Amino acid sequence: MEERRSISDIYGGRLALQRRSYSPSCREFCLGCPRLSLRSLTAATCAVWLVAYGLFALCQNSMVLSTAIFITLLGLLGYLHFVKIDQETLLIIGSLGIQMTSSYASGKESTTFIEMGKVKDVVINEAIYMQKVIYYLCILLKDPVEPQRVSQVVPVFQSAKPRLDCLIEVYRSCQEILAHQAVTSTSP
Amino acid sequence: MKDMSRVLYLVWAFIPETWLNSIGLTYWPQKYWAVALPVYLLITLVITYILIFGINMVNTSPLDSIHTVTDNYAKNQPQKKSQEKAIPALKDIPISEVNQMFFIAARGLYTKS
Repeated sequence: MEERRSISDIYGGRLALQRRSYSPSCREFCLGCPRLSLRSLTAATCAVWLVAYGLFALCQNSMVLSTAIFITLLGLLGYLHFVKIDQETLLIIGSLGIQMTSSYASGKESTTFIEMGKVKDVVINEAIYMQKVIYYLCILLKDPVEPQRVSQVVPVFQSAKPRLDCLIEVYRSCQEILAHQAVTSTSP
Repeated sequence: MKDMSRVLYLVWAFIPETWLNSIGLTYWPQKYWAVALPVYLLITLVITYILIFGINMVNTSPLDSIHTVTDNYAKNQPQKKSQEKAIPALKDIPISEVNQMFFIAARGLYTKS
């Protein structure tokens, strides 16, 4: 069962939420960020090349221009490969664990898997982020020494940063699965 | 006290060196400092504003820090049983309970119609 919706992130930009339900104990949430726009790319390139031309007009050394072209190309490639995240996915499998995948604009995918034994809870936390207070979903991990304590906080959807309406939906689905998991794990 | 120091500063800054020497007051700091010290003070003030802003940003816990969820006082609080019909003691409620209360129990609170 698939469902697509358009939601907004904390800055007001558009995000695409896609939720899939594979089984009652397995759900997936995909958040798609907007692509790199031609306008921002042109603006950045023009800015770098204008600065380079200004320097060239000052020192009359043509190496500055070729360096600027080089820097622009390398910067674009580096940005697409290391910084620009296209899509973030959260997959919860009730009996197994939680998997977070980030796919970058160059096609690179980075995956983190947390097994269910380590997960204490999935909560919506509020924190101060860059002169704003935002809601974000995070996974609380158990302390290996004392299971009642929280030892680590793993935030999810770090680069997409959706607003509270999307977070509440994801939170409720996760709580359903976790509650179901707690019931089935305690009963023999 | 403040007025006297102000008058003294103005006297030192404006009256020429020779006049002060003729009275007998010879051992003063250089007149350069009459202008330099206020400028130093103003620059320090401006930098203090920026510095305090920066210190605040550095001290803010990042999003993946455990300090956004709990701290030493909350971890070591005594678990007292609440008596019937009495006001419960002041304690830190774990974030899981708070979330259940906000987002699951009170469904109409955050969802827009």
